[in-house]
Amino acid sequence: MAILVLDILTTAAILFAVSAGLLIILGVMKLINFAHGAFLTVGGYMAYLNGAAGLSPWLSIPLAAGVGFLGGLVIERVIVRPLYDRPLDAILATWGLGIVIGQLITLGFGRGVQFAPNPISGTTELFGVDYSAYRLAVAVIAVLLVVALSALLKLTRFGLNARAVIMNERLARGLGIDSTRVRALTFGLGAALACAAGALITPLISVDPNMGLPWLVNSFMLVMVAGVSFPSLLVASLILGGAQVVVSTYANPILGGMTIVVAAALVLRISPKGFSRA
Amino acid sequence: MHDISAAITTRFRVAATGCIIGLLVVAVAPWLLDTYLTNILIRTLFLATVVMTVDILWGSVGILTFGQSAFFGIGAYACGLIFTHYGFGPGWALAGLALGIGVAAVVAAATGWLAFFHGSSPLYASIITLALPIVLTQVIFSGGNFTGSSSGLSGFPTYYWDLRIWFWTAGTFLVLTTTAAWLLVRSDFGRVMVAIRENEERCAYLGIPVSRIKIMLMIASAVIASAAGFGYAAFSNVVAPELASFQLGTEFLIWTALGGRGTLLGPIFAALGIDTMSSWLSGTMPFLWKLLIGVVFVAVIVLLPRGFAPLVGGLFRRILPVRTAGAPARVLVPDTRSRLGQGADDQKPPLRIEHLSRRYGSLSVLTDVTMTGRASHLLGIIGPNGAGKTTLMRCISDGSERSGGKVEINGAEIGRGAPQDIVALGVGRSFQNTNLFDTLTVADCLLLARYRIDGARLFRSSVGIALPEPALDILRATGLDQRLADETGNLSHGMKRGLELAMVLATEPSVLLLDEPTAGLTRPERMVIGKVLGRLTRDYGLCIVLIEHDLDFVREISDRVVVLHQGSILMEGTVDEVVSSELVRSVYAGHHVEAAQ
Amino acid sequence: MSTPLLTVDALTSGYGSAAVLHDVSLQVDRARIVAILGKNGMGKSTLLKTIMGFVRPISGRITLDGRDVTGAAPNFMARAGMAHAPQEHTLFQDLTVGDNLRLGVATDRLFRQCLPEVEAVFPRMIERLGQRAGTLSGGEQKMLLMSRALIARPKIMLVDEISEGLQPTMVDRIAQALLRARDELGIAVLLVEQHLDFALSVADRVAMMKLGEIVEEGTRQELAASDGLAAHLAV
Repeated sequence: MAILVLDILTTAAILFAVSAGLLIILGVMKLINFAHGAFLTVGGYMAYLNGAAGLSPWLSIPLAAGVGFLGGLVIERVIVRPLYDRPLDAILATWGLGIVIGQLITLGFGRGVQFAPNPISGTTELFGVDYSAYRLAVAVIAVLLVVALSALLKLTRFGLNARAVIMNERLARGLGIDSTRVRALTFGLGAALACAAGALITPLISVDPNMGLPWLVNSFMLVMVAGVSFPSLLVASLILGGAQVVVSTYANPILGGMTIVVAAALVLRISPKGFSRA
Repeated sequence: MHDISAAITTRFRVAATGCIIGLLVVAVAPWLLDTYLTNILIRTLFLATVVMTVDILWGSVGILTFGQSAFFGIGAYACGLIFTHYGFGPGWALAGLALGIGVAAVVAAATGWLAFFHGSSPLYASIITLALPIVLTQVIFSGGNFTGSSSGLSGFPTYYWDLRIWFWTAGTFLVLTTTAAWLLVRSDFGRVMVAIRENEERCAYLGIPVSRIKIMLMIASAVIASAAGFGYAAFSNVVAPELASFQLGTEFLIWTALGGRGTLLGPIFAALGIDTMSSWLSGTMPFLWKLLIGVVFVAVIVLLPRGFAPLVGGLFRRILPVRTAGAPARVLVPDTRSRLGQGADDQKPPLRIEHLSRRYGSLSVLTDVTMTGRASHLLGIIGPNGAGKTTLMRCISDGSERSGGKVEINGAEIGRGAPQDIVALGVGRSFQNTNLFDTLTVADCLLLARYRIDGARLFRSSVGIALPEPALDILRATGLDQRLADETGNLSHGMKRGLELAMVLATEPSVLLLDEPTAGLTRPERMVIGKVLGRLTRDYGLCIVLIEHDLDFVREISDRVVVLHQGSILMEGTVDEVVSSELVRSVYAGHHVEAAQ
Repeated sequence: MSTPLLTVDALTSGYGSAAVLHDVSLQVDRARIVAILGKNGMGKSTLLKTIMGFVRPISGRITLDGRDVTGAAPNFMARAGMAHAPQEHTLFQDLTVGDNLRLGVATDRLFRQCLPEVEAVFPRMIERLGQRAGTLSGGEQKMLLMSRALIARPKIMLVDEISEGLQPTMVDRIAQALLRARDELGIAVLLVEQHLDFALSVADRVAMMKLGEIVEEGTRQELAASDGLAAHLAV
């Protein structure tokens, strides 16, 4: 039972960390970044490279974030900015970008599976059971991430401007906020979060050129259900991620793999705004 | 009348010629190609058929579907499962095909029901079509030995026909379905599909059952995709979860986008070209080729949203200036069976609103509005900006809008009905902005407005458009009857207003809701509209509810006026009573005491 | 006499193919209040939106401080010293009063510097810095709107029907704030109004707009004497 609860909590934390970058881009830019999965993969390979270079495994996360931020700025300028008025086309273009990134990685590293070193190996005893220490660490990092992102949005000037653009872009522009700049920074931030999340989860799984895809689908569904707030993303991760763990444990893992997708589709059919209305 | 039927027969001649040329190419090709290429092309022809259906859904109706691969996979697995587990032979093959088509149709209907309802966003529909192949592949994975799990089924008995026979089968299937689709998108019904893509909301308010049409198209394209999948599996003798996967679904989208969405032939050629090249080049430079496709795809989406087909088409037309079989000329005819104005009953008010309210969160836009609209009466609604006038119109014409209260049309409660259901009760609504369907012609727009009453022909175009007398009057008065073949985007503002009103009248309403029908019009144009509105109430017994800022205009044509202020009815009376009222004067001059304090 | 602060020259503007404004010309001098009167639907708000950059002009020219700003984006206009107090969607309802005011200025440091200025005019706003803007009464929301426009110390404010739905005492407060802005801070105001008495009580010059055109223009005294004014505004 304790294991189940820990599984649910850590799964939710991982899902939250993986989805945060997608959510911030959707919230501010009203745009779905289908290259999100590829960004996660890039983060995974950053962790692998970092390990291969013999650096501290902890370093891989900030490193991936930096690469993601710079890459995100460039991508926003070249691909995303012309598509603000065509949101469905933006989905396709970012998906195409994902293919390009995936192929570049394949060209560079081959199709094989790679591993990244684990910063904390072994298990810790918690509530009377031995549990993977790194999964617990990821959960803690995810909680810190919630706090940091909320603080960024609530306390800083950038956050205030971003929230103003989310709520009413027209009015924000009328007050002198350069919404183009806000969007560019947001895309950079979203890409940085995605890459960092990729580096974060890689020690738990392996990395290959397509590792991001299943995560893309699940985080897309979570974000659709969550609307545009971090607390409701946390709620969505807990409920749907919890359902996934329960189904995987008691029914079978393959059904568990589609739990989030099915549950999200049904939630949205009943309440088109998902959890954000509550 | 001659050139009209000529235009239509021209279209059929073009379709027949294209079809025959296609069949000839299919017939000859296997003798010219080597075995390797023939082998590849047979698969590609099946895939191209699916891409064609993706183009119908995305290019023509605007449904961005990631899930067409699911139906392809269903057909393929129907073949694999039947042949592997149950039996092989002509009877089993037919049973398998029927099973694949039947399951695909049911799944498509369920998906459509989930994805398309009034108020659903295009994004939600895409989410559902994305979920579908993911769920399906998981189901296949969990099927164990029955479905072959991740490795799929192979080596089942099938028809080892000569390659040429397979090629002819696949090619003929593609040519025939494409010919049918080509006629469909150019028919009256095809115009309705384009209208749904351009402005779904407005279609609903013309009484067009948008969701039902989308579901029907989804089912039809699922059936074709499933049949293609069946053929693919029977030929290749292998089925695998990849055939139903979301990656293949997106690949279909990529081919469609590259070829040119909405061009039908573009995506087919893109599919044939790219898939053949892939099979060829993936041997020598697999990753580089996919990378190249990805780069080109991104560039096309950003820079060439309409794909390569328009470029190729333009080049072709420059070299070979042929007269294309354009839209046929149409004629307007009076609708002899028009029910406009019949059944008007002075005793029973056609519009009755009781205690209507509308809240957005904590903000109350309408509170306790009670009013009746009588037959043969024109009711003006005036009030300052933000008084809730347009919201009131919305609450009458869409059952899901109001927060409380009751609306009755001709004695029937609207309940939670969608706009198209309320149109069927007899409500016609015009809008404040004149965003019509920019790429449709005037005649197409009128045809749309008649969909509820006259329907639309599936593979053909009708010549005459039957319209009730007052709609014809407006078209004549504004000169629109001479410009039936013009795209509405090129009309003047006054003409657009006239067309809008004619379209609403074509739906033969008994309650007419008009939101600032004369905004931006010149004095003479206003006079025309005023005269028509007068006739509609006098001779046809319509109940008209009109939002208007210009009080002089209201005074000329209306019997009674309702003044809305901050979401409630401030007063109701004749125009002169209202104008002389001290209360109303103070609201307009801004002296009114703030109610919120 | 230096160049006028804001000039609008032969401006035609509207939405899509429909022009709402036809050939409108006007100018606003430094530290002057100009009021444009007219009924609903006559194009007054469109004029302000076009000047601010929300609506792209079809033809004509707009200059601010001698600089051609025709077709510039709203965020550029705001940073160039133009504050817009729109009629609809005026505030961020879910943000606090303080955050709404912060958004009125470019940086948080400037915000702290300028806050006393707001306190001098609308002390009630300072008491309510932590309250959500959506929970303010209608009159208080108008005060917040004015405060946010003033806090940036703009060169010119575009004010859209600020008096609508306000009780007379509140209208007076707003009038005093506008006059103070003009006299003590040298801020020019372009005011769009239906409320005749209010407009005449503050404006230096008055123009009359009908069906997207300016039909009469003059000093307050000239127009107050004219019969046309009352006739245009009568219901």
